[in-house]
Amino acid sequence: MTDNQAWLHQQLQTVAQHQTKFTDRAFWVALDHLAAEQAQRQDQLQGEIDGRTWRPDKW
Amino acid sequence: MQTLVLVAHPHLADSTTQQFFKASLPATGVTYESLDAQETYAVDREQAALRQADRIILQFPLYWYAAPASLARWEAAVLTRTFVYGDRRYPLADKELGVVVTTGMPAQAFRRGGLENVTIDTLMAPLAALAHRAHMTWLPTMAVHQFNYLDETQKLQLVVAYQRYLTQSAPDTLANRQAWFAARLPAMVAKLAPKDRAIGKLITATLTQQADELEALMATLAMIKEQDDD
Repeated sequence: MTDNQAWLHQQLQTVAQHQTKFTDRAFWVALDHLAAEQAQRQDQLQGEIDGRTWRPDKW
Repeated sequence: MQTLVLVAHPHLADSTTQQFFKASLPATGVTYESLDAQETYAVDREQAALRQADRIILQFPLYWYAAPASLARWEAAVLTRTFVYGDRRYPLADKELGVVVTTGMPAQAFRRGGLENVTIDTLMAPLAALAHRAHMTWLPTMAVHQFNYLDETQKLQLVVAYQRYLTQSAPDTLANRQAWFAARLPAMVAKLAPKDRAIGKLITATLTQQADELEALMATLAMIKEQDDD
């Protein structure tokens, strides 16, 4: 997890905890899950790009 | 998107699950109707509501592997042959039909060899056939199992899963999820306490930036794949 992602996760949790209405809290918690999903997808894409770029047979 | 939610439940007010869904309804874009609250149906009005909706959601508990009687009663009255397909005009064509079904048995029971030995998709076959006949798009069913056993975290997740099922563009991809949240973020930030509002805006900016980075990575990858194909 990058610093940016860790910061985002922490902020989203804090904002979620500040909500008194259940459905509002649900929105911020779900947004935190979306951010985690974005981070994971970013990792996977970066990994695939690295893997496909690292092609000694094409040197 | 306009969504019409038709609920079939003989004891709606006493159902904690249904009341939870009702409290979770998005503030805009959704019309909610109880099929059990009406003894007879105003067919013209019901058909007009269907014509106006982009997405129609049938919501009910599973009673002996089917929907409660009111859904069949409503279908018989409102979904006349002439209305659905008889005159070859197909007024429901291209609308989406989805089901929110609740069960007293766990998810793992609904599979071949499971306690119920039947899948939810199999049980929904008549409704999926109806969607096909009406030239509608069938949405993957949202099944909620054993609501009363859910803990608080799961219930929090269910609120948004339900809202997205009602109003998010299909299919349920990361891109569509991002767009759904992005559309709602400004209003949610505006609702925050003044001390949190600046953070809310920073969160919005960071999420947008992450989405942009993802798009850039996907473009790069697509380019590499294209070169690999050569």
